[in-house]
Amino acid sequence: MGSKGVSRRQFLKYAGATAALLGLSEAMIPEIARALEGMTAGKPPVIWIQGQNCTACSVSFLNTNYPMVGELVLDKLSVRYQPNVMAASGDVATKVIEDTAKEMKGKYVLVVEGPIPTKENGRYCTFGLKDTMVPFFNGYQRREDKPISAWMDELVPDAAAVIANGNCASFGGIPAANDDVTGTTRVLDYVAKNDKSKVINIGGCPSHPDWFIGTVLDYLFYQKVPELDQYNRPKAFFGQLIHENCERRASFDAGLFLEDWNDNNPDLKLCMFKMGCKGPVTYADCPTRRWNSKVNWCVGANAPCHGCAEPAFYKNLSPLYEPLPDVHFAGISPLPDTLGWVAAGATAVGIGGHYLYKQLGKKAEDGEE
Amino acid sequence: MAQLISIDPVTRIEGHLRMDVEIDGGVVKDAWSSGTMFRGIEMLLKGKHPWDAQQVTERICGVCPLVHGTASSYALDDALGVDLPDNARIIRNLCLGANFIQSHVLHFYHLSALDYVDVTAVLKYSGNDPVLQELKGKIAGLVAAKDPYPLLPRYESGDYVSDPDLATTLVAHYIQALEMRKKAHEMITIFYGRMPSFVGTIPGGVTTMPTVSNVAAFRSRLAELRDWINRIYIQDILTVAGVAAYAPFLTVGDTGGNFLAYGGFDQDSKGSEKFLPRGVITNGDIMNVQQFDETQITESVAYSWYDDSTDGLNPKNGKTEPAVEKSNGYSFLKAPRYDGQPMEVGPLARMLVKKPQMLVDLATKLNLLSNPPFKFGILPRHAARAIECKLIADEMDSWLNQLDLSGKIWDKKGLPDDSYGRGLVEGPRGALGHWIHIVDKKIENYQAVVPTTWNASPRDKDGVRGPIETSLIGVPVPDPDNPINVVRAIRSFDPCLACAIHVIHPEHNGVKEFRVV
Repeated sequence: MGSKGVSRRQFLKYAGATAALLGLSEAMIPEIARALEGMTAGKPPVIWIQGQNCTACSVSFLNTNYPMVGELVLDKLSVRYQPNVMAASGDVATKVIEDTAKEMKGKYVLVVEGPIPTKENGRYCTFGLKDTMVPFFNGYQRREDKPISAWMDELVPDAAAVIANGNCASFGGIPAANDDVTGTTRVLDYVAKNDKSKVINIGGCPSHPDWFIGTVLDYLFYQKVPELDQYNRPKAFFGQLIHENCERRASFDAGLFLEDWNDNNPDLKLCMFKMGCKGPVTYADCPTRRWNSKVNWCVGANAPCHGCAEPAFYKNLSPLYEPLPDVHFAGISPLPDTLGWVAAGATAVGIGGHYLYKQLGKKAEDGEE
Repeated sequence: MAQLISIDPVTRIEGHLRMDVEIDGGVVKDAWSSGTMFRGIEMLLKGKHPWDAQQVTERICGVCPLVHGTASSYALDDALGVDLPDNARIIRNLCLGANFIQSHVLHFYHLSALDYVDVTAVLKYSGNDPVLQELKGKIAGLVAAKDPYPLLPRYESGDYVSDPDLATTLVAHYIQALEMRKKAHEMITIFYGRMPSFVGTIPGGVTTMPTVSNVAAFRSRLAELRDWINRIYIQDILTVAGVAAYAPFLTVGDTGGNFLAYGGFDQDSKGSEKFLPRGVITNGDIMNVQQFDETQITESVAYSWYDDSTDGLNPKNGKTEPAVEKSNGYSFLKAPRYDGQPMEVGPLARMLVKKPQMLVDLATKLNLLSNPPFKFGILPRHAARAIECKLIADEMDSWLNQLDLSGKIWDKKGLPDDSYGRGLVEGPRGALGHWIHIVDKKIENYQAVVPTTWNASPRDKDGVRGPIETSLIGVPVPDPDNPINVVRAIRSFDPCLACAIHVIHPEHNGVKEFRVV
């Protein structure tokens, strides 16, 4: 028997699922099982706070299969604060954060869903209450709202790792389109003044449960932040271009494009490029990982990839249903690194998919249109 | 002596909600509902390609993306003059129905149940069911390790369900429900690609045609869910509603008898017949369902942080001009009103308009229909949600039969130069409207009036409270440190704050001060 009534067989199955999630060899299963068993003695505390979020990344987390969410939340992690699932409300809830930060200094994992607004002293997103009093109705005074920026100031320095869960925590996403008003700030920028290297960005709008949970398990297994790309994303999940692994790549190469949704005979597997697919500039493993228990994925539903895992999403990938900007089909080469996009109206200048990707990413970095 | 308590965060809802309640003599005397986060979804749509709207607006909320994307598609259809193919209408209904199942199951078990079930009672379970014994072992381990998060801590209360067999069964159903709601998401994914943030609706239709294979995949999951809803969810609701200590909650939490339903699940291409009917009820007169008139919707901003000059506008021409320095403002939510009155929206409103036999029978049995004006509190709201879940799930099977495997799924229409469109639908949390104005093939104006904006609205220009504020008055709070009944009442509405606060006008220069006065 493993700990807490979990059978050895269940435990090895769990370790196997972990290995698969992390892309590790089956030969590693016994080692993973030992590591996971060791962890149960002191489960890593997790504080999961929400900024300008929409909760899709929390809902997506609930869609995990291996490990099941119940196992994960009760057996593997100590989920101290997660506003959508925790029993406590009000002061009882926020006291848990305060106690954890004090008692588990340097040991807790901080998960941030949604970006951090900074204008007006952070008042565009608050939860919990400070001790200072402000006037209220009927002659009452009430305790002042506490901005998420204040929570970040308190919690980031002593966090073992900070996981920005989802596109908008990682890259600004949809709220960043109004950053001039609320001062929307990516977690990485907010943390930069402390320690940039402990921030892990999980893209996706929403994040795939495997991306998030795989990253958490990887961190628990190796006790360090996984290998990250230039955007602080784990390479394990965001290392490959969707276009390169797409099940409809053959249609792209053959020039068979979907142009009318009434022609979408599933056997044809027509390419979605002309309907605005951003797969050629999006790095994520959606084509092989798929979504919701592997039932489907965006292109599988005859819809274009909207590029939601990319730093450029949403602002710099709009319009979503128009073909990628300034490119047409003359001179297309099927070679992955020399996707011969030709700038429209210009002389034949080939722009590699990776180059275009970098440009779009850079625009998002610069926060420009 | 009267005192003010502030509950922030109200958890196990979507979003950032603070509730201030004045307590006098052990009951709530007054309440103020405040949303405390905003982003600005509608405004960033201005100037964008109209087709982007449903992808952006479904990200108003990750709990209700399906209903926003659907409302947006209907608004676009309207603006473009689409003649929606039957297949597209039915697939939209099927996916919306699956989302109702997902949302209602999630709400009762994962968002609400911990308000009623004592998880520590599982430790006293002495039965022989191996699954429940394993559950007991698991929770015993958590408690022994002094690491019972996130199940504890909680507001303490003497009236949690503490019978070991019953509590253990309910906690086991909580865990089963995690799988059930996931299957409901998979159903949507079959046609729409993924959830949350799906891609399967487009202006003019849907992207996936029905096939023998995807219809079968949908139907098999539906059968499993229908069985579970009938055997487990409905039974658990009846069990909790029958707990003697909760008898007051049959009527405590009533909002005053005004209910609004836009109606949903069009049964013909014109939407003239809907599975959930459209209608308005006022002053608790549930036998007199009135005709709905869209022009009667206005939004008051008297107590909201928006400029007073925008008070009373219909959303078709709605404006959003922040004025956060307003001394009497206390919420980012506007106050939608119908014919000047606050309206409760959601499953209770829809079921009172539709009056299915199952609801009438239950309400009669619970003695809710004996003395007018009728009052419907916390528990009827939960029961209406469960009954609705069952009705929709049972009906969906026949919708699958109506799909035409060789029929169209898309009506291609170009973008207009100047056109209005609106989509009125029902989401799990209530009546949802999207309004779009397209000029020169671009979005000129986009407005959404969302269920939680109706339910969690602040006071209006006449000082009349919003429905949740009203529902809290009279709620017993014997211990101000543990206001469990306040959060029970709030959660019965299934609030979604990200939905409710989705507006900002960045061109306005007045967003400089933010005071709570």
